[in-house]
Amino acid sequence: MNTVNVSRRRLLQASAVTGGGLVVGFAFTGCSSAPAPLPVASTEGAWTPNAFLQVLPDNTIRFYTARSEMGQGVTTGLATLVGEELDVNPLDMDIRLAGAHEDYVNPLFGMQGTGGSTSIRAHYTQLRQVGANTRALILEAAAKDLGVPTSALTTDNGNVVAGETRHPYADFINTAQELQIDADAPLKPTSQFQYIGQETRRVDAIAKATGTAQFGIDIDVPGMHYAVVVRPPVARAKAQSVDVANAKSMPGVTDILEVHSGVAVVAESFWQAKQAAAKVEVQWESMPLEAVDNDTLRRDYAAALEGGDGVEGPNEGDIEAAMDAADVTHEAEYWAPLLSHSPMEPMNAVVRIEGDEADVWTGIQFPSAVPGLVSRVADIPAENVRFHQTYLGGGFGRRGSPSYVAEAAEIAKETGKPIQLVWTREDDIQQGPFRPASLMRIKAGMDNDGNLLAWDAARAGADISPDTFRGLLPALYPWMGDGMVEGVANLSEWYFEKFATDESSTEGLFEDYDHPNTRVTHMTVDHELPMTFWRSVGHSYTAFAKESMIDEMAEATGMGEVAFRLQNTQNSPRLNNVIRVAGEHMAKMNPPEGHYLGFAAHNSFYTDVAEIAEVSVENGKIRVHKVTCVLDCGQAVNPDIVRAQIEGGVVYGLTAALYGGLNLERGAIKESNFHDYPMLRMNESPEIEVVIIDSGTNPTGVGEPGLPPIAPAVANAVYKATGQRLRSLPLQLA
Amino acid sequence: MEISRMINFTLNGQAAQTDADPSTPLLWVVRDHFKLKGSKFGCGAGLCGACTMHVDGAAMKTCVTPIAAIADKAITTIEGLGTPEDLHPLQAAWHEHAVPQCGYCQSGQIMAAAALLDANPNPSSDEIDAAMSGNICRCGCYPRIKRAIQSVSENALAYDAMAKTEDGA
Repeated sequence: MNTVNVSRRRLLQASAVTGGGLVVGFAFTGCSSAPAPLPVASTEGAWTPNAFLQVLPDNTIRFYTARSEMGQGVTTGLATLVGEELDVNPLDMDIRLAGAHEDYVNPLFGMQGTGGSTSIRAHYTQLRQVGANTRALILEAAAKDLGVPTSALTTDNGNVVAGETRHPYADFINTAQELQIDADAPLKPTSQFQYIGQETRRVDAIAKATGTAQFGIDIDVPGMHYAVVVRPPVARAKAQSVDVANAKSMPGVTDILEVHSGVAVVAESFWQAKQAAAKVEVQWESMPLEAVDNDTLRRDYAAALEGGDGVEGPNEGDIEAAMDAADVTHEAEYWAPLLSHSPMEPMNAVVRIEGDEADVWTGIQFPSAVPGLVSRVADIPAENVRFHQTYLGGGFGRRGSPSYVAEAAEIAKETGKPIQLVWTREDDIQQGPFRPASLMRIKAGMDNDGNLLAWDAARAGADISPDTFRGLLPALYPWMGDGMVEGVANLSEWYFEKFATDESSTEGLFEDYDHPNTRVTHMTVDHELPMTFWRSVGHSYTAFAKESMIDEMAEATGMGEVAFRLQNTQNSPRLNNVIRVAGEHMAKMNPPEGHYLGFAAHNSFYTDVAEIAEVSVENGKIRVHKVTCVLDCGQAVNPDIVRAQIEGGVVYGLTAALYGGLNLERGAIKESNFHDYPMLRMNESPEIEVVIIDSGTNPTGVGEPGLPPIAPAVANAVYKATGQRLRSLPLQLA
Repeated sequence: MEISRMINFTLNGQAAQTDADPSTPLLWVVRDHFKLKGSKFGCGAGLCGACTMHVDGAAMKTCVTPIAAIADKAITTIEGLGTPEDLHPLQAAWHEHAVPQCGYCQSGQIMAAAALLDANPNPSSDEIDAAMSGNICRCGCYPRIKRAIQSVSENALAYDAMAKTEDGA
């Protein structure tokens, strides 16, 4: 056992330079201290050339997927990348979810995180190189063992082929582990891809169709107790007095304790914990947020826009002069409400602390946060924290905020028991962190020929990044004291309020169209509600404002929504092409009487998407019958998963467009479960057609870009159907 | 001395009994006591369908079904419907049509679909909508769920023919 670890460590140290016996043009380890052993299963006789691959003596090819699988199909996608160059069918691999280790960082984040539709883009070259270099080592070992030149050998799905004979890769692993290569192996030209670009099935579909896929909530360890936390109705309020008399006599209850986020009730089963939690009486401290009602946000945002005292973002040309010179100007305000992510699997984590060691099982978008967070809470060294990733029952940004891991660790530490902490759906909807509400104002100017000249855009609302940063800081820098964490977090809030625009707040509001004079202003108005990234982040609201305004301008020209967009996207050729192709599809559509087509296009996460929504309005109810999406995301590694992601983005975005909106009353969220925070269901789900344009470039994002255009596409169709311009989400007819 | 309040039922064809409090929802008895984790907790209020099992063949939301109500009844969970080695036709269709994304709701979706097809082997599109609208999927797999159900209905050939006509149009 020890020997195995030492040899792994040696491999890892080599990986600082070579990527574990491999070259791979990515620095895998950045610290001067010895890296932690790889969190991969130790299997007798297996060859582990790097953190991603393991070849077992029975020729099982194990692949450790570094990105969190939350439904976006990344496991299949990454296995396809490595399998393409390793020459192993991804569907034949034994796929494992990677633990926490520096070799698993997202090259675009510098930490182990999944989000921003980055995974395929970030690993596209790296994992193919890992596959190619590993295959090169196997070929070299085979040549040595078989006494033939490598040029006499080829590979085929996990086998080295020498003439008529096939040898499993496993035959050569003893020799291969003695070898090093000194240059990256060449990658295949795209014309030779056999897995990338193919319509393969998902590697996780059978497990997920048979109930055998393991999510965090399915973890069960001996002696495990279940915890539910009684939480304040108003964010961040602390308990002033707690009466547990009625709760502690409830069946199965073993512990009741105060934690940073409320009062934890621990019992022998979840049901017992949940029942007892309802009996805990808490007096919560009074918070300034209690002065905030539903109308307060919009009123305060409007006042901020009116005051004009914001932080200036991009400013090109002379906006005032251009607006004066424009033949046509138009100004409008757009509203998007506070939203919950509500993934189907409520937040949960299992933490077991024994002595100065801990095990953590959970599904999380930022595994990097786990060791630091648990180390901090449990007062044990971070390297003694073993993280076991599970499937995520939906992420959508929510599982990037790891407070649920801290809660579970806190309770496990205090009680000395292995703990599964589970949030209720009510916790999920009411506690956040949320997608912030936004009030956006756009003033646009154009000439009489429909050329956009000036675009003056402003957004008021809370920022996303500082709160997310606040949540991750204690995890990433466990050595910082609480006071320092608070200080740094406050500093970042203040910075975005006064000096710089949080990119997440205004992204998508101004980039897509050709207007030589552009001004973007941001007014941070923070009511101290917790915020974080929500699928497509700023684009989830800015696309609604931008594409509604573009539609309004197009209408003023009388030149048609597609022609106007084509004329004004000359500087964005890929977006322009997507609009052109979508326009051709739209021109051929022949909707039945009473159905209307709305159009929207948007670039996000480096992907261009245009959507056409076929909508009818019957008895004041908006019904979306069909959505056609045209996108260019570069190389589609798995076209069917790309389609699934776009379909998913449309449905998630439609829920927000038609229903989404949390309401505040005295600082507390009024909605509590799916009866008053409804989700789109099958009977309301449109037919969705996805058209992928292959522009031959490297892959760009697909998890999020399907979402932003749907709300404006529907709103633009509703305008045609009713003459009403709906400028507030969710879309509600007067 | 406390009177025994053992509740008997069958679970995936096997005799089972529990002394859990009769008000405990079936979901938690199956998950926490019998350790079958395929059925999921989504809302705790019978609103999302992630916990759907069959009770005497009918799809039920088990997060709001107290075990007192299932005494002497036959319970089938996703584990009892099929296994990775021996897939139920719907599970095979879920794989074939690449239905699951995060997968968390899919046990419930499949149990609802299986109960539908048992009762009505030839559901229309509207009948599928009606039977499935108690099951929420946040990943937005609805179009694929519907296609997968249609593919194993007795109307599958007719649906195929319709799809071909639409493609050709």
